[in-house]
Amino acid sequence: MITPPSPGDSSSAPTASAVPVAPTALDQCAQEPIRIPGGIQPHGALGLFRGDELTLVQGSANLGNVLDRAIAFDGTQTLETIVGAYAPLAGDVRRWAASREPGFLEQYVIDRRTFHVAGHRAAQGILLEFEEFDETERGRSATFYQLLREFLDGSDGLKTVAALCTGVAAQMQALTRFNRVMIYRFDEDWNGTVIAEKGDGTLPSYLDLRFPASDIPAQARDLYRLNRLRLIPTAAYTPVPLAPALCPVDGAPLDLSHAALRSVSPVHLEYMRNMGTAASMSISIVIDGKLWGLISCHHAQPRYVGPQIRAACDFLGRIVAQQISARERAAEADERLRLKGLETELVARLARAPGFQAGLVDSATQWLALTNSAGAAVVTDGIVLTAGKAPPIDSILALADWVRARGVDQIYATGMLSAEWEPGRDIAKVASGVIAVPISRIHASFIFWFRPEVVETVTWGGDPRADKATDAAGRLHPRLSFESWKQEVRLCAQPWHTAELMSATDFRSAIINFVLQRAEERAQLSEELQRSNKELEAFSYSISHDLRAPFRHIAGYAELLGEEEPDLKALSRHYLDGITAAALSAGQLVDDLLHFSQLGRTSLKMSRVDMTKIMVEIRRSLETDERQKGVEWDIGSLPPAWGDPTLVRQALFNLVENAVKYSRDSTPPRIRVWGQERSADVIYSVEDNGVGFDMNYANKLFQVFQRLHRQEDYEGTGIGLALTKRIIDRHGGTLEAKGAVGQGATFSFTLPKRQSHPVQATQPLAGGNRDRT
Amino acid sequence: MTALRPILLVEDNPADIELTLAALKKAQLANEVVIARDGAEALDYLFSEGRFANREPGLPAVVLLDLKLPKVDGLEVLERVKSHPKYRTTPIVMLTSSREESDVVRSYQYGVNSFVVKPVDFKAFYEAIRDLGMFWAVLNEPVPGELA
Repeated sequence: MITPPSPGDSSSAPTASAVPVAPTALDQCAQEPIRIPGGIQPHGALGLFRGDELTLVQGSANLGNVLDRAIAFDGTQTLETIVGAYAPLAGDVRRWAASREPGFLEQYVIDRRTFHVAGHRAAQGILLEFEEFDETERGRSATFYQLLREFLDGSDGLKTVAALCTGVAAQMQALTRFNRVMIYRFDEDWNGTVIAEKGDGTLPSYLDLRFPASDIPAQARDLYRLNRLRLIPTAAYTPVPLAPALCPVDGAPLDLSHAALRSVSPVHLEYMRNMGTAASMSISIVIDGKLWGLISCHHAQPRYVGPQIRAACDFLGRIVAQQISARERAAEADERLRLKGLETELVARLARAPGFQAGLVDSATQWLALTNSAGAAVVTDGIVLTAGKAPPIDSILALADWVRARGVDQIYATGMLSAEWEPGRDIAKVASGVIAVPISRIHASFIFWFRPEVVETVTWGGDPRADKATDAAGRLHPRLSFESWKQEVRLCAQPWHTAELMSATDFRSAIINFVLQRAEERAQLSEELQRSNKELEAFSYSISHDLRAPFRHIAGYAELLGEEEPDLKALSRHYLDGITAAALSAGQLVDDLLHFSQLGRTSLKMSRVDMTKIMVEIRRSLETDERQKGVEWDIGSLPPAWGDPTLVRQALFNLVENAVKYSRDSTPPRIRVWGQERSADVIYSVEDNGVGFDMNYANKLFQVFQRLHRQEDYEGTGIGLALTKRIIDRHGGTLEAKGAVGQGATFSFTLPKRQSHPVQATQPLAGGNRDRT
Repeated sequence: MTALRPILLVEDNPADIELTLAALKKAQLANEVVIARDGAEALDYLFSEGRFANREPGLPAVVLLDLKLPKVDGLEVLERVKSHPKYRTTPIVMLTSSREESDVVRSYQYGVNSFVVKPVDFKAFYEAIRDLGMFWAVLNEPVPGELA
């Protein structure tokens, strides 16, 4: 708003012809040599001095006029010859030049007139600027130190940045008596918003207006950062040229970056005139080396502010910068502390949860509050869990893929997702603002926070789309209109604050620790599982050897005894048979147990299973069984399946044998076996018309040693169905039973139709799943 | 036909010895049954060492070898015999209580001639012993010249 520069205007910028003509007006602005304008403003004069003698080598053409003496720029005059030997100026400048002091500012009486002399070291020599003291300031200088002190005393009560800025604007207005003083703050894109204003009503209010970044090009901003105060007493001034035009030291234009009198570009003056301001002054607010904002003063009439008040303004600018910085830091520290407290609470809650994902959902309030978000999501292994207002699952997964592809290391954050990721438009209503933190190096696992679109009406100080124009001669003009122009800003969320981003990053570390810890626990658990598996193996081995042998011996001796004593009493014979039967049954139990435990340990040898053939074999092997005589078989089509043929045969055998066993008292026993293809699997059923069972006990049916019938009625060890269940489980299928007492039973099991990856036991989670095939 | 070759029964459990002998007797096999009570004794007998250093020369018709044995276990006896060029043709039947798959697999890797899980049912056990005896001690033709 203050210094937009001009195009190559050869009269004011002698080197402009050396600057390539840029294709667009904006580029032209950025190329303008504003540090070397080749002239100064007329409210003072300037000279370049060199060497121990402080020889004058170049100066403003008005130097002689201002000092009221004859000046030659031919290298024949020294500072002494200009200001007179009686002034201590030359001696002071020499001492300063030899010191490390960056700048020089003193008052001197030269020919009974008081001058402010400011000095700085430039690349080409020592630049001294002379400004005659304005006698009207003399009376006020006592009061403005009082004003500054009062402001400093009162500023402690201004707790917020906004309140502080309002106070500063008023203070600055009192100090300078400009018609309007504004505090102007830059955003991330260097657009500026007037956040505080104090005026006397002469000029219109610009409070809350936004000005586009192009009003102050990058190089101008850079100068504002280096040289914090600029005064233009009148926009209607005629620049005073330098003499000679190029510096005799190096033949280059004189660098006026740090010169207070530096001439500003004609475009800027035109801008001021368009704006209706005849005079302006601006003081930069620089925080941590970065241009935070400006204190901008405007006047409807030409207005000169002398060096002493300017120094006070500069001082005020520095104080304000420090106070803003302190308040922003304090506010951020408070917020950090608050968020840290939330984080601690949340992590404590997660530690008690079975999984951090589920824990997050259960603690949704804290999770969202961690970054002051409206929605959140956690993505792990393609599973999405959400809280609050979050986009659809598919969008979150796509977003996770996109963020992952960007190779985000610690954190990704945006306030306008759709600007960086086109599909973000579809979810802008809930997720214009996004924070993503990766929680795995290998997988696309993220924690997301979302902020909704906040439709905002921005009032610009003029239409930013038409900020500059070139005339027929190709000359650049600043925009003419400062009529406020309203724009509706869409697809943007409230920006993320540093404290919120740090909170997200900290939380990421906590979660990663969490995940690592869980992984360690899992590893330990699997070690324990392996150990217990080994123990089980050893146990079943010893069962097989040491328990089986005695049963065999009992059976063997009972048999031998029977042979040795063929004339045993009937009762003795009965006892002996009992011994044999008991031993055989116990031996069978041991065999079944071993088989059952082996099933969990050995791997499946998968292949295509011809169920029709298996059923034929089962019937054949049952033919020796007395019980199956009289059974009416109804064998339907049995489509092939995918499995371990031996185990599948065992499973079907157990079911068919059961059907035979429990239907033997029916007249006639009927057994129906059939299969039915479904989309991914085949379901096989074995139905009988036997004794059936009470559905109330259905869940006990498949447990080891669970029997629903008395042992003397139906023989067996009670492992058969458990074994069948285990076989089907290992194939990723299901086994179900239906029945009613006295009305038979139907057992159905499923097997995969074709080869597939092993079925992994995953916790069903709310939210949704990605099909990862 | 020369004298019947003995059957070597390697078994530490007295009940199993008794039952096996009863089964062999019921099967009316006339072969002498030599009993070794552990793996070391079995090896001594087979290689004519230790207390069997002066035994009648000749190899048994079949070795009925229990898998779990004191001192030297059945698998090691099997391995030692089957890896010896002179003795490896000796038929060895692993006769065991174990149904462990790994034992079966290793036995076959070492070259066992057959692997029989002793049935709990004595009738079945008797039939198994009878069949083994008949096959290995009577029907099976040994490698010619092995006796020398």
